[in-house]
Amino acid sequence: MAIMRINVGPIHPGTHGVLRLVVDVDGDTIKSVEPHIGFLHRGVEKLMETRMYMQNPSYTEKLDYIAPLSWDDLYVNSVEKALGIPVKEAAQYERVILLEFQRIASHLLWLGTMVNDIGQLFTLFMWCFRDRAKILKLLEDVSGSRMFYVNLRLGGFNKNPPDDFVDRCRALADYLQERISEYPDVLDADSVFMERTKNIGILSRNDAISYGVSGPVLRASGVDEDVRISHPYYIYDKLKFRIPVKTNGDAYDRYRVRYEEMLESISIIRQALEMMPQGDTAGMPIRLIGPAAKPDTVVMQEELPRGEGIIYMVPDKQRPYRISLRSPAFINLSVLPKISENMRFADLFSIVGSLDVIFAEIDR
Amino acid sequence: MQESEGIDLEAPYTKEQFINAEQEMSMLTSESLKPYKKEYAPAMFGKLSELTKLTLKDVVKWGRSNSLWPLQFGLACCAMELMDFGAARIDAERKGYLMFRGTPRQCDVMIVAGWVTKSVVPRVKRLYEQMSKPSYVIAYGECATSGGPWWESYNIIQGIDQVIPVDIYVAGCPPRPENLFGALMKLQEKIRGKVDRYTSRGLSENLRRIEGKGI
Repeated sequence: MAIMRINVGPIHPGTHGVLRLVVDVDGDTIKSVEPHIGFLHRGVEKLMETRMYMQNPSYTEKLDYIAPLSWDDLYVNSVEKALGIPVKEAAQYERVILLEFQRIASHLLWLGTMVNDIGQLFTLFMWCFRDRAKILKLLEDVSGSRMFYVNLRLGGFNKNPPDDFVDRCRALADYLQERISEYPDVLDADSVFMERTKNIGILSRNDAISYGVSGPVLRASGVDEDVRISHPYYIYDKLKFRIPVKTNGDAYDRYRVRYEEMLESISIIRQALEMMPQGDTAGMPIRLIGPAAKPDTVVMQEELPRGEGIIYMVPDKQRPYRISLRSPAFINLSVLPKISENMRFADLFSIVGSLDVIFAEIDR
Repeated sequence: MQESEGIDLEAPYTKEQFINAEQEMSMLTSESLKPYKKEYAPAMFGKLSELTKLTLKDVVKWGRSNSLWPLQFGLACCAMELMDFGAARIDAERKGYLMFRGTPRQCDVMIVAGWVTKSVVPRVKRLYEQMSKPSYVIAYGECATSGGPWWESYNIIQGIDQVIPVDIYVAGCPPRPENLFGALMKLQEKIRGKVDRYTSRGLSENLRRIEGKGI
């Protein structure tokens, strides 16, 4: 049969953003996929060089609008490292709690939209958004904003948490534990979901390592690697948690890894709430930062919901002289032509969805 | 089928329109301070005596304003709030706003949610041209309104109104989903002709376009 070329996107309901795919199909079988990116490029790295240090969080959190706090925290943490400012201990605990809540919210949104794209399950989309709204409400009460919380300051937060912070977090963790454990009952019993994720988009262990993917996509292929364990930051070395690892490397395993990560995040939150000391968490107010930064370059890495994010920064007195970002979603997208080869065209969107790409971060 | 008092894209810009804008703005603010007098929308199946007063035009307006079909189309951050708009907490379906469609040919409301880069501009324009007429545009969020935080960027256009005419602007970064409710209700008022002042405003009165700073 002759090979036909199909153009998908850039504006398409199934591509999770602005992605253009040029697909060559033989009948219903994909022969090659070529992703075209850059439709959201706005030059973040260059814009960040023109701003003061603490003006930049409003740029970094728009890199990943599903989990804004994680990129925000990575940037603020690297500025703290560059300027040699210690983070208050209570603030470290609060940051870990909020980051893990943000990770759960990110995975919930991913699960809801991916299942919705595959078909049939609008119910789960509603459930995921119902639970995500509870997390956003907590983050709104802590920071003052619903989606973009510019609440991190050097050494802590913009203000102390509300008085009932610990109780509310504990109640929310209990609620999420109960709700999230209901999801597999719906998903694993659904033949549409299982047929469209099992053995779809298999990424082998060797390919995963050689392409340099990270995060849940890497762990679903059988590599036990997590920045929270291998290079611990904040208080992660004091906590006991498990890194879920699967071996098949298909779309179903990527779902399982993310699902088990949500439950692990809940246990991290509970431990951190137990150990959280009393104390002030307010950091430095936003102002001009006088002293020059000490090191020549700063490299900071953290485990974001989508994988390993790295900031390389050459600090200057008031602003970063040069800043470079390693986006995990960009590198995870690079395996798409490899894993969608010889798959059915209809499964293309469950493969794209299972990679959890986000285009603000890819195009930068 | 464009309404006679609707936006005429082909009409050249006259300077008088712009000179009057300031005067019009002050009139607008002074009138907004007056107590709100509620005007009821013409009911379709009201009393028979009222029904006879309705012209065909009003029936068409009533129909249009109550069947808004938005295009399922998200660019960036604000699309997350657009999803929340349709999800469990807000549940826009109870008001009948949620006929999100994947193809522009079935839609008449375009919600531009996110920043618009120069490479996306031709695509957005194509989608707008493909929509069934009359079509309405909502600029949702700072980026679609004015460029937002990326105003200085070399690859961003400062507002979607430089390319296609916009009916409603929604402020916020991102606006809450409740604000989209407000915007759609405002759009309904506009279609019914309740907000007469706004109907004559359009592309030609855009400040930046007049100064020649458009793309």
